[in-house]
Amino acid sequence: MSITAYIPLPIAIPLIVAAFLAFTGKWVGRRACDTLAIATALGNLCLTIVILHGVWSQPYVYWFGNWWPRPGGIALGICFSIDAIGASLAVLTATLTLAGLVFSWRIFEETENHFQPLMLIFMAAMCGFSYTGDLFNLFVFFELMSVSGFALCGLKTQTPGPLQGAYNFAIVNTVGAFMVVIGVGLLYARTGALNFAQAGRSLGRTPADSLVLLAFLLIAVGYLTKAAIVPFHFWLADAHAVAPSPVCVLFSGVMVELGIYAVARVYWTIFAGSLAPNAGELREILLIMAALCAVVGALMCFAEHHLKRLLAFSTISHAGLMLAGVGLLTSKALGGFVLYVLSHGAIKGGLFLCAGIVIHRLQKIGEDHLHGRGHEMRLTAAVFILGAFGLAGILPFGTLLGESMISDAAKDFPQSWLPYVFVFAEILTAGAVLRACFRIFFGWGDPAPTDESSRIEEGPETTAQHSTTPMTMFLPAAALVLLGIAICAVPQLRTTADSAAQVFVDQPGYAGMVLDNASVAAPAKSPEESLAGSIVRSSIAGLLALALALGSVFRKRFPKLNFTRSLETGSRALRTLHSGHPGDYVAWQSLGTAAIGGLFAWFLR
Amino acid sequence: MMLNYLAYAVAAWVFLWGLYGIVTSKNLVHQVVCLAIVQTSTYVLLLAIGYKAGGTAPIFADIPVGTVVVDPLVQALMLTDVVVEGTVMALLLSMVVKANEVAGTVDPEELRILMG
Amino acid sequence: MSARTRTTLFLISAAGLAAIFAWGLRDVPPMGDYRGPYGYVLTQVAVYERHATDTVNAINYDYRGFDTLGEEFILFASVLGVLLLFRPAGQKKEDAGKKRVQLEDALPVSDTLRVGMQAMAATMIVFGLYIALHGQLTPGGGFQGGVILATVPLVVYLSGNVKTFEAIVSNPLTTLAECGGAGGYAIIGVLALLAGAHFLTNFVPLGKTGDVFSSGTIAIISVTVGVEVAGGFLVLMQSYLREIIEERLQEER
Repeated sequence: MSITAYIPLPIAIPLIVAAFLAFTGKWVGRRACDTLAIATALGNLCLTIVILHGVWSQPYVYWFGNWWPRPGGIALGICFSIDAIGASLAVLTATLTLAGLVFSWRIFEETENHFQPLMLIFMAAMCGFSYTGDLFNLFVFFELMSVSGFALCGLKTQTPGPLQGAYNFAIVNTVGAFMVVIGVGLLYARTGALNFAQAGRSLGRTPADSLVLLAFLLIAVGYLTKAAIVPFHFWLADAHAVAPSPVCVLFSGVMVELGIYAVARVYWTIFAGSLAPNAGELREILLIMAALCAVVGALMCFAEHHLKRLLAFSTISHAGLMLAGVGLLTSKALGGFVLYVLSHGAIKGGLFLCAGIVIHRLQKIGEDHLHGRGHEMRLTAAVFILGAFGLAGILPFGTLLGESMISDAAKDFPQSWLPYVFVFAEILTAGAVLRACFRIFFGWGDPAPTDESSRIEEGPETTAQHSTTPMTMFLPAAALVLLGIAICAVPQLRTTADSAAQVFVDQPGYAGMVLDNASVAAPAKSPEESLAGSIVRSSIAGLLALALALGSVFRKRFPKLNFTRSLETGSRALRTLHSGHPGDYVAWQSLGTAAIGGLFAWFLR
Repeated sequence: MMLNYLAYAVAAWVFLWGLYGIVTSKNLVHQVVCLAIVQTSTYVLLLAIGYKAGGTAPIFADIPVGTVVVDPLVQALMLTDVVVEGTVMALLLSMVVKANEVAGTVDPEELRILMG
Repeated sequence: MSARTRTTLFLISAAGLAAIFAWGLRDVPPMGDYRGPYGYVLTQVAVYERHATDTVNAINYDYRGFDTLGEEFILFASVLGVLLLFRPAGQKKEDAGKKRVQLEDALPVSDTLRVGMQAMAATMIVFGLYIALHGQLTPGGGFQGGVILATVPLVVYLSGNVKTFEAIVSNPLTTLAECGGAGGYAIIGVLALLAGAHFLTNFVPLGKTGDVFSSGTIAIISVTVGVEVAGGFLVLMQSYLREIIEERLQEER
C-alpha cells in the first residue's frame, strides 16, 4: 500500500485546521473548538501510524513540489526522508498531543480559543521535524515548534511567573536557533547543499577541517539547547514550572527528545564520514556531557519541591541519558535511544498529567503545601507510583529495554562506567518522584522543607476546587503511563530498533536512497542479548529509589538518615546558578559553546 | 586579501556584541532588541556566503540566463526570516509588556522570582 | 550571579568564542567565491522550468515552497501568541464591554507631516500592491509587499488621523486576511495533492515568461502570503492598540 498520499497530511491538515480555528474561534463555542482539535489530533495519530507501518522495513523519500533530484545527485527541492525512527517519533508526538488536548477539556476557561490552534501548530511542527531530510527545513520546523512553545508556555498571564518563564525560554532557545542558522550557513558554504544526503555525500570521508567542525559545533549546540543539556538547560525548569500541564507533557515528552534526535540525524547523515577518524574522541566528549547532564539533573531533581520543577529536572537528567545513547555513536546504542525516548515520553507525559490533576484538585503544587492533602486521590497516586518506577527503568517498562541496549553498547568502549550513571540518575529521579508521592498522597513523615521555588503560586489552571478527578483528566494520564509498559508488548522490539538504527547510521545507504532512488540494504539482524544485567541494575535502582524516598520522608525518626536532608536541600551553589535571570542563562550558553568548541578544536583536529 | 574575510569578521563581531548586550542588559525591551541584533549577524553571514564577485542580481527580466549572478538561495532563506523576525520579536515584546503590567518592572533582576 | 560575575563569565566565553570563530572561519571560501552547486543550478533552470524571472521568489514559493509555508506559519503562530497573551481576562473583560476610552481624535502634527503622510499612504498602497503582484518577475513578492501594505496604517497614524488608524486596524477583515492567507497557502498545497502530484507542486498553467500572470502557483502563493503578512501585522497592531486602551482604562480607574 502506497503511503505517498498520506505523507504531507500530518503537517498540512493540522495547519489548515489551526488557521480555521483561529478565525472562527470568536464565534464558535469552546466545546466545538475542543472537539475539532481533538479530532484533528486523533486523525494525525492515525496518519502517523499508517506512515510508520509503511516505512517499517524500507524508508521512504517524498519530494515536495515534485522536485526530484537532478542527475549528479543535486537536490533542488525539499524532501521528507522518513524511516522507522522518525516515524515513531511522529506517532509519539501525535499521542502526546491527543492526550494533552483531551486533558485540557476541563481547563483554560478563557483563552478565546487560541490555545487549540497553537497546540495543533506545535504538533504539526514536531511531526515535520521528525520527517524532514533538509537542513533548512529542519530549522524552519525547529523555529515553528519553538514559537508555538513560547506562546503556549506564557499562557497564564495573570501572574508574572509564566511570562518570565516563557521569556527565558524564548531568549535561550532563540540564541540556540541563531547558532543553528550560522552552522547551516557554514555547511552550505562548504558543500553547496542543504539536503542531508547531498551535504553528506559532498563531505564524504574527507577528514573534517576546522570549518566543518565549527559547523557541526554550532548545529549541535543549537539543537542541544532545545534538548536542555547542561549547561544549556536552565530555561527548562523555568518553562515547566509555569506552563500548563498539557503543554509540559509535550515539552518533556517529545520536544526535548527531538533536539537530541536532530543531533543524531545531522551527525549520521552528514558528518559521520568526515568525523570518523576522530569518533573515539567525539564519543568521549559527548558521553562526558551526557554524564554531567544526568548527574546535575538528578541532583537538582531531588532538591526540588515544586512538583513540576522536580519533573522538569528529571527530564534534564534523562535527556542526559538519552544523549549518552546517541553519543556512543553506534547503531545499537541508537536503537536503545529510540526505545528510551518512546517509553520515557509516554511515562513523563503521564506524570505531568498527574501533576495537572493535583493542581486541579488541590490548587497548589508545592510538596510542602500539599502534605497529606491528596489522600483521596488513590488512583492518581497509583499512576504516579507506577510512573516513578517507570523512570527507574524496571521491568516491565520500555525504559528498561532502552537502557539495556545502551549499556550493552557501552561495554565495547572505554566508557563502561555508563551503566552506573544510569543507575545514579534513576535512583535520584525515581526517588524524588516517590518521595513527593508519599508526602502528597499518603501524608507520611514530616512536611518537606520549605524552599523558594515551591512558594511560587502557580495560578490555578481551573476555576474552582473540585472534589473528584474528571475522567478526561485521569484517563489520558493513566493511558500514557500504561503505554510506557505496553510498548514492550511489541514483538522483537529490540531487534527491530536495532535494525532501524542500522539503517539510520548507514550514511552511504541514506545518500543512495535519497539521491539515487536506490533501495536500502536490509540490515543484519543481531540476536537479542540477555536482559539479565539490566534487570538486576534496574531492580537495584528501583529498590534504592524506594529506600531513598522512604528515608527522606521518615528522616526525623532515624537520625542516621540525615544525609538525605542535605540531598534534599541540594547544593546551594547549584541552586543559585538557576537564578531566573536570562542574562545568566545566555552567559552559561556562551561558556558551554566556547568550552565544547575548545574541546572540539583540541581533540578533533 | 583581508577584505575577503571582512564580512565574516563583521558577522562574528555583531554576534558576540549582541550576545554581550543580552547578557548585560538591565531592561527587557533592550534585551529583545539585542536579540534582533544577533539575528542580523546571521543575515550578514548568509549573504556573504552567497556573494559572487562581479555577479549581478539573480533577476533575469532584463539579462540573459547564463550571466554571472550571485546566489539566489541564501537570499531566499534570509528574506522570509527578516519578516518573521519582526513578528517573533513582537511576541517577545508582548511578554515584556504583560510582565510590566503585572509586575510593574522591566528589569530582569527585579523580575526573577523563579529560583533554584 | 551578580552582574559583575555574569559579565566576567561572558567576556571569557566571548573571547573563547571569538577564537573558535577565527579558527573555524579560516577555511571558509573567501567572500565572492561562491562555488556551491545548489544556487548555480537554480539560476540556470528556474526561468525555463517555471517561467519566473525572479529566481529568488521561484525558490521561495516553488522549489523550497514548503519552507516558506513553515515560515508563514511561524508568523501566524507569533501573531496568535500575541493575541493569546494580550487577551482580556477577568476584570478587563467586563470593562471592554462597558466603557470605551477615548483616543485622541487627532494628534497635533504639522501641516507638512499631515499632507505628506496622507499622500504617502496612498502611494504606499499602490506600491505595496505592485510589489506583491510582481514577485515572480522582479524583486519583491508577498513578504515585502505585505509589509509595505501593513505600514500604511502607521503612516496614517503619523499623519495625525488616529481615528482612521483605529478603524483600519480594528476591522474584522484583518483576521480573515491573516487566517485566510495562512490556511490558503496550505490549501494550495493540498490542491496539488488532489491534482495527483506531490504537495505544493506547481499545477497551474505557467503562462508566458515576463507576464504578470505567469509562473503558475508562484504568483498565487505570493499574493496569498502578502495578504497573510499584511493581515498579521495589522492584527498585531490591533492587539497592541487594545492593550494601550486597557492600560489607559486601568490608569483612569
